[in-house]
Amino acid sequence: MDIRKQEITREDCATLFPNGPAALAGLRGETLLVTGGTGFVGTWLAELGAWLNDEHGFGLHMILLSRQESDFAGKAPHLAGRKDIRLLKMDVRNVQEFPPEVTLLVHAAGTPDNRFHATDPLSTMDIFVRGCRSVLNAAARLPALKRVLHLSSGLVCGGQPLDLPRMPESFAGRAEFGSVASCYTESKRMAETVCAGFRSQHRLPIVVARPFAFIGPYQLLDRPWAINNFVRDALLGGPIRIQGDGETVRSYLYGADLACWLYAMLLEGQIGHAYNVGSPEPVTLKDLADLIADQLSRRPKIERNLATASRFQATRFVPDVTLAESTLGLQRRFPLLAAIRRTIAWNQAQA
Amino acid sequence: MDVSRKLPVAILGTGNIGTDLLVKVLRSEVLECALFVGRNLQSTGMAKASSLGVRISDQSIDAFVRNPDCCKLVFDCTSARDHLVHWPILQKQGKIVIDLTPAKVGTMCVPAVNLQEGLQAQNVNMVTCGGQCSTPLAYAISQTLGKVEYIEVVSSIASRSAGPGTRINIDEYIETTQEALEKFTGCGRAKAILVLNPAQPCIDMQTTVFAKVANPDLPRLDAAVRAMVAKLQAYVPGYQLVIPPIYENGRIMVMVRVQGMGDYLPKYAGNLDIINCAAMAMAEEFARKLLGAPAPRDREGAA
Amino acid sequence: MNPTTKPILICDVTLRDGSHAVAHQLTAAQMEVYARAAEKAGIGILEIGHGNGLGASSLQVGLAATDDRTLLRAVRPCLSRTRLGVFVIPGFATINHDLKPAIQDGADVVKVASHCTEADTTQRLIGFARESGKETFGVLMMSHMAPKETLLEESRKMQSYGAEGVILMDSAGAYLPEDVAEKVRFLVEHLSIPVGFHSHNNLGMAVANALEAARHGATILDGTARGFGAGAGNAPIEVMVGVLQKAGFATGVDLYGILDAVAVAEREVITTVPSIRGISLVSGLAGVFSGFAKHVERVAKEYAVDPRDVFFELGRRRAVAGQEDLIIDVAIELADKGGKNRGHP
Repeated sequence: MDIRKQEITREDCATLFPNGPAALAGLRGETLLVTGGTGFVGTWLAELGAWLNDEHGFGLHMILLSRQESDFAGKAPHLAGRKDIRLLKMDVRNVQEFPPEVTLLVHAAGTPDNRFHATDPLSTMDIFVRGCRSVLNAAARLPALKRVLHLSSGLVCGGQPLDLPRMPESFAGRAEFGSVASCYTESKRMAETVCAGFRSQHRLPIVVARPFAFIGPYQLLDRPWAINNFVRDALLGGPIRIQGDGETVRSYLYGADLACWLYAMLLEGQIGHAYNVGSPEPVTLKDLADLIADQLSRRPKIERNLATASRFQATRFVPDVTLAESTLGLQRRFPLLAAIRRTIAWNQAQA
Repeated sequence: MDVSRKLPVAILGTGNIGTDLLVKVLRSEVLECALFVGRNLQSTGMAKASSLGVRISDQSIDAFVRNPDCCKLVFDCTSARDHLVHWPILQKQGKIVIDLTPAKVGTMCVPAVNLQEGLQAQNVNMVTCGGQCSTPLAYAISQTLGKVEYIEVVSSIASRSAGPGTRINIDEYIETTQEALEKFTGCGRAKAILVLNPAQPCIDMQTTVFAKVANPDLPRLDAAVRAMVAKLQAYVPGYQLVIPPIYENGRIMVMVRVQGMGDYLPKYAGNLDIINCAAMAMAEEFARKLLGAPAPRDREGAA
Repeated sequence: MNPTTKPILICDVTLRDGSHAVAHQLTAAQMEVYARAAEKAGIGILEIGHGNGLGASSLQVGLAATDDRTLLRAVRPCLSRTRLGVFVIPGFATINHDLKPAIQDGADVVKVASHCTEADTTQRLIGFARESGKETFGVLMMSHMAPKETLLEESRKMQSYGAEGVILMDSAGAYLPEDVAEKVRFLVEHLSIPVGFHSHNNLGMAVANALEAARHGATILDGTARGFGAGAGNAPIEVMVGVLQKAGFATGVDLYGILDAVAVAEREVITTVPSIRGISLVSGLAGVFSGFAKHVERVAKEYAVDPRDVFFELGRRRAVAGQEDLIIDVAIELADKGGKNRGHP
């Protein structure tokens, strides 16, 4: 792996804490288990944990749970070989017991990739609902467990109206059900209810995070989301292709910010609360494509797929993160432009 | 030890208690788990048993009807209501039954106090977690100081260690614990109190015994309590004396804390561990008796 | 008066929570005389008994001078308009031993209480009280320890078991008015049964908190004559009634009547009028059960430790109601450390 890539992610970690990482001191000496530990979220948590250990002597032990733990060495070789990171091969649906030393748990397993949801809705639901149940069942028997952070999805609130600038946690929009297309949202909703059950019946100290959209190193560019495709198209020299008229609105939080926010929620979040995690900075896909194109020395062309434009319904998906900002004191350190620049630089450093 | 010299036992009930007991049986030198019986092959306990290579059945009590010779002793870890159905069937088959439910069909037994009495019974009831924890101390008080006017035990347990069954059956817990206290101390007025504490990280089980006595001879009581604690520690390793007997505000007070062994259940669930440890002590003694092996040490009470 | 404002049900707990102030030594005669005065004043519910309720007479909390049945039988004939209330905590009392006899002896209202996160321990007792045809409320004790969402979940459990109202108890006197507003408003918005509030005065907020609760929709409020209760005491019922009246709430309580009742209480029941002493304030700041006050004072003296340190350590250990034995454990530990637990806030 390119040394430059490691430099980028470590610089990112340092950028998060202009005044030192005191806010995350609760991680010191703890043993963290992350399900979905080798995915985008897990890798970023490991990246930041490793940095806190190296630079600030946090003494955090990390256990990354994954079905494909062997892929991790290729993806993040500098993390895979570390003494403070242990990989554990396990399918969340069949978890029976976790290592007893675990004190903090982040349940991040399950892919948000909608291609997988479309092809295999039954496994999707199984992973999110039964997986959550198995994980929390095992968590309920951990002797030293202090806190659990469950990763839900911003989508559980239902579709965001175009005239609602930012969607708060309390928003209750229309949700599809009874179709294959609704399997992800419905199972994510059910998983939150499973969490409530474990919190109520087993007194598990669970905090819920509802992620929106993200960008950054470790994000796979083949994922079927606009920003990933735009970056991929741009790196390949273009053209960047926009589905529809480009009026769809999204927002993107950078991976390093994501890791920092999740740790803060795990440590300080109010038990039983759900917190939006994402960027409140909206951008139309049209502007996003321009922003990405501007970052390359040879500016790629941008094409709009106007053939579908008349039928293409613009959507909006932007979180209101006031709750996290005001009650947990969280800030974004990477505005959209910085996030895009770092992402492109990291991907260009690819060997 | 020769493997054939182990007593085959079965565990009926695959919840947390049954599964924790399984781990303990697998470690025993005199017991072997011949069958782990429940109703649902998909349960976490069943999966654990399978992974440990134990024979499992989802036929509940019918597993014994179909296979009456599978074992000599059965631990019943189901519910009081189910035990009333199980007992007549197991009784006819001549099985020794160690009942961990609050059914109170058999002889109430606390190994540190009345092991020998228990060995004479075919159905041994393990009282309650609080009873296993507190009656030995209450017994030591009554044996040392003579007449006890009033005895009271307060157990505080981690909220997370109290499942739905415990919560809905608090009245039965209190009544059974009081009954055991009265039986073992001869005191006609006993009170049991249970407090659930939700603090995180979880608290260890803590039990305080209070007594009103005419003659608070502390030095004698101190020795008796320490001897009793040592006797319990032989089968409940996490049993600790926190406050040796004191006389305060007109009452005797002793406090102990119990940490679990962390076999299947977390260490803070000392309340669940102690009843399983007591059941194991009972079953192992039965095994030694039936196998003709000498008891490693005399655990019988001083009386 | 605002016509949409619902009347407030005043629950007088002088003869129950007040018991904590006198180590549960109230007599039947004292209760009778106060009950007659409360009846005259038009009090909605008069709650009587040991400080921790039915069956709580114990070495742990304190032995009562008079047993539950004697007290109930004495007070029963003194009340007709005012309903006779009992308080019960599962884990201390059982249906067979305590609740059933209390109902036989004429209790009209049953409050079933649990620590604020343990409402599922109340299912059987609430069910029994309802099946017996008694007005039944759920009480969440030490409610400052849980966020509003948890309080709602626990209240919903009680509602599902049959509770006809849920009362948030500020057992430690730890609430500030904004906490009351947040929690009461949230429960009122989300529950279909009435919400109540029970104040303590450790931070000098008892009446202000009761008013705040009423303003945010609480319709059941607890108080005691002159605030008679452990430590800093409760909301003085006469002040609470006066303040509610001024703020435009109907209580059904006659102002002169309650002032007369308070005079009776001062003469016959109250030994010392509660005040906010240093250790009561510390107890409120530490978030420790108010009923611990007398025990902490006694034990601290005996082990020569600072009672304020004891309160802070109990708060750190997150002690709940019913854990009086922890006081001695803490005092011994502090004494072993040399009597001073430096480094507290």
